[in-house]
Amino acid sequence: MVPAQYYLVLSAALFCIGVFGVLTRRNALFFLMSVELMLNAANLNLVAFSLQHGNLTGQVFSLFTMALAAAEVAVGIGIILVLYRNFEGVDVTKATTMRW
Amino acid sequence: VTTRPELVDMDSSRLLPGLAAVALFLVMAAAFVTAGFGAAAGFPGGSVTAGIGYAMFDLLDLAAIGSEGFLITFLIIALVLDAALEAAVMLARREGEGEPLEAYDEADADTGAEDADPTAGTPGVAADGGPRKGGER
Repeated sequence: MVPAQYYLVLSAALFCIGVFGVLTRRNALFFLMSVELMLNAANLNLVAFSLQHGNLTGQVFSLFTMALAAAEVAVGIGIILVLYRNFEGVDVTKATTMRW
Repeated sequence: VTTRPELVDMDSSRLLPGLAAVALFLVMAAAFVTAGFGAAAGFPGGSVTAGIGYAMFDLLDLAAIGSEGFLITFLIIALVLDAALEAAVMLARREGEGEPLEAYDEADADTGAEDADPTAGTPGVAADGGPRKGGER
């Protein structure tokens, strides 16, 4: 069986790629993708420890995290649409105020 | 003049975030590799898929693998997804300036134009109900 460390290192790599994306990207769509990467890193951890402890709670929890991620993407895409409409682009650094 | 690709652009604003991300990864990897977790317990008996299904609906007596009940969570997530769908629609639709959707027009369908613009009959209205800009599309 694969040791838990391998899953954790993979998850850390995925999370750091997400952090890098959030820190550097200016396009809101890529921003959203990076947040998804970080969420999936957390999911990987949950499933890995579910296997480690022989308990299904982590797997069910990761399912719910995926549902929450879907909800987050739905709202995020809506916000990106509004961003595009009001700022003529999806550059997150242009939108510096909550009102316009 | 062509320039050779550079692995690291020292003037780039991405250098510092990149270094931060790599440093974070190194710290986490060092912590994980040196930690001792022991042998994984695994799921020796019973179906994992069936166990997840039983856990979601609080049927823990039927499950072969240990878990907690998630029925309340299941219902809350259903509500949250519904709210998110509603929020996405609210954010996506424009205020005023025509209807977001055009009613199906049989007269347009009879012309046989497969790639006809559904909003072609209403000049100045884009597909999402907003004003169409000149030269857009």
